[in-house]
Amino acid sequence: MKVTKALITLADPNQRSLPLQTLIDQNGRKRSALEVVLEETFSTGIEEVCLIICPNSQESYLNAAGEFANRIQFIEQAEPSGYAQAIKLGKGFTGDHAFLHLVGDHLCVSDSGLSCAKQVVETAERANASVSGVQATRESQISSFGAVGGRLVDRQESVYQIERVIEKPSPTQAELELTVPGLRAGFYLCFFGIHVLKPSIYDILEKTTALPTPEGRSLSTALNLLSQREKLLALEVSGSRYDIGSDYGLLFSQLALSFSGKDRDRVVTGILELLASKPHA
Amino acid sequence: MNASSPFLATITSEDAALRNRSLDSLCEALSIENLLSEAAQLEAYRQQEPSLYNRVRALFFLHGIHRFQLPARNGYPDQARLSHQAHELILNRRFEEAIQALLSEMKTSGASDTLSSSLAHAYHSLAFQTLADQVRQTVRSTAGNTWIFRMGHHLDHPLKLRKSLLEKSGSNKVYPILKEQTAVRMDLTHCAWSDIFFLGMDYPEGARVLNVSVDLGVHGRDNEIRPPIEAYLRVIEEPILRLCSVDLGTTTELTMVDEVFDFARDYLGLLKAAVIASGLVPPGLEGSRQKLSSVFESIIGEGKGLEIVSNVNRIPKGSRLAVSTNLLGALISVCMRATGQTASIDGPLNETERRIVAARAILGEWLGGSGGGWQDSGGVWPGIKLIEGEKANVGDSEYASSRGRLLPRHTLLGKEIVNEDARKKLQDSLVLVHGGMAQNVGPILEMVTEKYLTRGSKEWKARNQALDTIDAIVENLKNGEIKELGKRLTENFFGPLHDIIPWVSNIYTETLIADVKTEFGKDFWGFWMLGGMSGGGMGFIFDPSFKTKGQAFLSEKMLERKHQYENALPFAMDPVVYDFRINESGSTGTILAGDSAIFPEAFYQLTIPSALRSNPQDMTDAQRGDLRQYANAIQPNQPKRYSAADLIGRLLPEIQQETDDNNNLEALLHENGFDREQHEQIRSELLAGRIGLAMNRVASSATISDVGRNELYDATRDKNADFEQIGQNAIRQGEVAVVTFAAGVGSRWTQGAGVVKSLHPFFSYQGRHRNFIDIHLAKTHCAERSFESRIPHVFTTSYLTHQPILEHLERSHSDRLRDSAYLSSGKSIGLRLIPTERDLRFAWEEIAQQKLDEQKQKMQESVRAALVDWAKNFGEAADYTDNLPSQCLHPVGHWYEIPNLIKNGTLARILEQQPQIKYLLAHNIDTLGASIDAELLGWHIQSNATLSFEVMSKRLEDRGGGLAKIDGRIRLIEGLALPHESDEFKLTYYNTNTSWINVDKLLQFFGLDRESIKNVKAVEAAVRKIALRLPTYLTLKDVKKRWGEGQEDIYPVSQFEKLWGDMTTLPDFESNFSIVPRQRGQQLKDQAQLDSWVQDGSADYINTLCTWTD
Repeated sequence: MKVTKALITLADPNQRSLPLQTLIDQNGRKRSALEVVLEETFSTGIEEVCLIICPNSQESYLNAAGEFANRIQFIEQAEPSGYAQAIKLGKGFTGDHAFLHLVGDHLCVSDSGLSCAKQVVETAERANASVSGVQATRESQISSFGAVGGRLVDRQESVYQIERVIEKPSPTQAELELTVPGLRAGFYLCFFGIHVLKPSIYDILEKTTALPTPEGRSLSTALNLLSQREKLLALEVSGSRYDIGSDYGLLFSQLALSFSGKDRDRVVTGILELLASKPHA
Repeated sequence: MNASSPFLATITSEDAALRNRSLDSLCEALSIENLLSEAAQLEAYRQQEPSLYNRVRALFFLHGIHRFQLPARNGYPDQARLSHQAHELILNRRFEEAIQALLSEMKTSGASDTLSSSLAHAYHSLAFQTLADQVRQTVRSTAGNTWIFRMGHHLDHPLKLRKSLLEKSGSNKVYPILKEQTAVRMDLTHCAWSDIFFLGMDYPEGARVLNVSVDLGVHGRDNEIRPPIEAYLRVIEEPILRLCSVDLGTTTELTMVDEVFDFARDYLGLLKAAVIASGLVPPGLEGSRQKLSSVFESIIGEGKGLEIVSNVNRIPKGSRLAVSTNLLGALISVCMRATGQTASIDGPLNETERRIVAARAILGEWLGGSGGGWQDSGGVWPGIKLIEGEKANVGDSEYASSRGRLLPRHTLLGKEIVNEDARKKLQDSLVLVHGGMAQNVGPILEMVTEKYLTRGSKEWKARNQALDTIDAIVENLKNGEIKELGKRLTENFFGPLHDIIPWVSNIYTETLIADVKTEFGKDFWGFWMLGGMSGGGMGFIFDPSFKTKGQAFLSEKMLERKHQYENALPFAMDPVVYDFRINESGSTGTILAGDSAIFPEAFYQLTIPSALRSNPQDMTDAQRGDLRQYANAIQPNQPKRYSAADLIGRLLPEIQQETDDNNNLEALLHENGFDREQHEQIRSELLAGRIGLAMNRVASSATISDVGRNELYDATRDKNADFEQIGQNAIRQGEVAVVTFAAGVGSRWTQGAGVVKSLHPFFSYQGRHRNFIDIHLAKTHCAERSFESRIPHVFTTSYLTHQPILEHLERSHSDRLRDSAYLSSGKSIGLRLIPTERDLRFAWEEIAQQKLDEQKQKMQESVRAALVDWAKNFGEAADYTDNLPSQCLHPVGHWYEIPNLIKNGTLARILEQQPQIKYLLAHNIDTLGASIDAELLGWHIQSNATLSFEVMSKRLEDRGGGLAKIDGRIRLIEGLALPHESDEFKLTYYNTNTSWINVDKLLQFFGLDRESIKNVKAVEAAVRKIALRLPTYLTLKDVKKRWGEGQEDIYPVSQFEKLWGDMTTLPDFESNFSIVPRQRGQQLKDQAQLDSWVQDGSADYINTLCTWTD
């Protein structure tokens, strides 16, 4: 299996300005959040990238895409009918091929030589299966994410066979259905915002998006069904993801980028000076 | 270790025939030496055995050997001192260390009955501690529960309130109310208590229950049958937790996390336990000193709080329908739904969710210091279900430590298995009632556990029989054979249940069953025992065409029988008949939004009066909203219209009732010779600190030492033929009479219930329930027949006991009452006082107390803080009048009972009718073995003493002083008078309070004779003179206050007493002492003693002393 296309969802009208925010990347360059996401995507070697956006936002995204502007396509989601629906719109673009999917409001910083997206793509290609990037997350935060339960795949470090997917579980549900051998107590595998999906997801999305309940809007519902029909793996990505839409999300994203780049000392010094001058709130 | 030990083989064998051998059969042929050797092996075995249940079984075997087997062997030494060190360790729940200390003492000084009694207690306590710890550990580690113990800071709180609960709507713009309705559960089989956690976890195959969820209404009171339990939750605009129980009529507002863990501060402990167990305020936050506003900011949003309301529609406590567990379940469910811990905010729960609710309810019960069985949350499930223990498998937290899982398996018996017709037949035949009795079932559950683990052969057979009954009952239900079902349930009650625990039944229940049988004959199909003990929730099964008549009959008859027995048995309320229906949905949630966001009517009756009394400007938005919603609900066009008239009724205080009660109390005091002057003097001395618990003690400079066996007459050895002859002659010549002290109510026996202990028919001899008075009279009758003599028998009484005892004698012993039974009524009375903080603290802090397990200890501390506040608020040493008048008075100690006999003319009357009387045998009502023993009487006669007291070798339970040599003089001393608690452990002998009195010498001591006792004034002066020479003790007693629907509170109150044994303190008074066998001297103080009283042969021994006349 070879992954050649990528879908990035940016269609939530409440978050349309997030990818336009400016950050300083690891190399000290000023870039929009969208550019950082696109760089992550193209780092995998994929050449065809499509953005699912809300109506009338194409121009501002094109401006924010910087050097990647002429390498991306757009599909508009006419109505804010949900995340799962947005991915379903990509069917015409990805056709019968497995594709990489990233959420546009998450930034990731890899801890290894490979970018986070590349780690997921390589695992999917090697296993010839759909793969979701995951990150061990404390139970106090799991109500913000989709989470998976499963077991380690033999002889593969950090790769899990997914048996159950629940969107924004309560800790009680998580403890009952999402425990994963080998994880620390109180930690669960939550989505990283990067997936490689085989085209079979579209048949499932057809059904789940037809549901009138909130579950129909969630990708987790479809992934749960997918896990019961075919092999769906989870890769515990070597890196961290940051939700720029959450409280202080942009700040933490910026700090994470700076701490892993050339300006680390400068930023650390700045923070220490700030702390020293304001030791108490 | 000897692998061939039959004891160890019994514990470890996989072969059921070997494993289920009873302890009795193993011990049968063993000598003292053999038993001690087996005990040593069991001790070594339990130290290294990894399996929890094997360990616990070994502990129960060791308890049985030391409590029942060794003491029953002839020649087992009975004289030794109790170990103070071991006692202190036991009180501090350091049982393991206590056992080692006792074993080491046994090595040094040899085995004895006294040491065995301490060891038995320590083994027993360690066994239950081990079992309870295991259940708690398992509750904590049950999947779905563990996160709540990890969370220690509000910023880590993982729960979020569902957004829909924050959307205001309706004409008054109010937050929606989330409502949970839950059924109660009936146990269709009485599972032979197999739903005790310990039992289900050790013997999952034997833990089986058929359990039905039911909706209820009180027949004749309620208009509809509905799920009786309701829990409500809504958001409020204040960052607090407001809890309200409409049944208990109480509400509270909490602002700090730690207040949620203070269970006993008010009546809302159950609601708090639910808030904790649901994860809203998780147990991991306990002691964190965080504010609830911070927690709620994480869960709901800034400035918001929650209001949680419970309502059980006035279903009485003690209904045996597991109301409190299911209420806990409903409250936990509503909190879980609100915080997204269930798939759906409304509708029924799914199976996984129900199991989590059940596990959390167990957790909540543990937190609240109470406990139920594992079937109790059955009301959360729908319809009829089979609940069965499940074997623990690899991966379960219970695996390797117990054979079964904590949580059982629920198999719903849907309509495809028990069809609609059968369900209808069941509902049409069954009359469900609450008999009105409320009893503590805790001791029963301990007895069941112990009997299960030691496999008493009779009980084990009965348990297996009860198990077979379940299969038969399921078949009956499937086939709609309700008549058969009734027959089986009756057989189950009178067969296996009686065999396992005879105390399951009582005279009230059996009389009712007989009444129904007589009235309905073949149309009465059977009796159904709902669980625990009978007398509370019960069922009577009728031919359907007689159900209505049955309901009417039982309504009337239960009340009649209650009135007959209410002095003898603890009734908490008037009996009621229920209407019921099977609940087919289980716990169900509903969102009440907009104009439908209404609480139950009683909520408004509780909260609106205080809102109306406040200044309109100070009214909160929530109060305004509630008023508007209530205004809507009283509109004439509402389908279930609320009544404004009821609310207005609530606004007016009930003054009349209080005045009536006060009048009754004054009248009672007047009638019973209350001495106001003396009372005021006592109060002022108490307030000044001149009397009090600390002042009961004799001077600490007194030297206290033990009395040697050679200084006493030993009646435990072979009989002295000379004494026996002297005694026999005296009895034959009619020189002896019996005085039974029956003035007290026996507050320990009845736990302050205010019923008369002497009339409690606690045991069945020759097929009839017998009370203490019946037994004492049967002994006297036996002696009369043996010696062909007339023996007068006096029962001393007080204002509390006189009339009930008289009525009992008239009803059951009228011949004797006409001939030789006398009542000596008390003419002294005290008015109880609210205790001082000083005495409360002395009782709790200066006197060594049994430490409880962790959660119960917390509860107790919280209760005690509340009681100190109560004492201060109501006034220390103020008159205790806030209860039924009879609960405010107290008898003034058994010293007065003999002087009263003189004062009220009873002695004169006896002497007139039988002038040859020279001796009295006086004893406590609960000393059942005290009989007219010819040898002891002969010894007393020849010793020429005024008073001869009987003492016996102490066991651990015999605390409260004894026989001592104080500054060289042998006398009796009360425990509360000993200068140091450790002094108690210097003493070998315990006072049985049985004494032989030389009538003429006693009169002489009082300055009286057979003639002058007819002179009232002379007698009064003589009694006062001696009374002044005797110490007065202050004691704290527990008294129950009943309120609401079967609710009870227990308060400690101060009272005063003088004690008969203190006659031995008077230097010019001649007393003698004899050691008597334990079976003669032991007292039945507590109902929890009953089972071992039967097991150790005491009950049979008493029977040998009696001749029954019916």
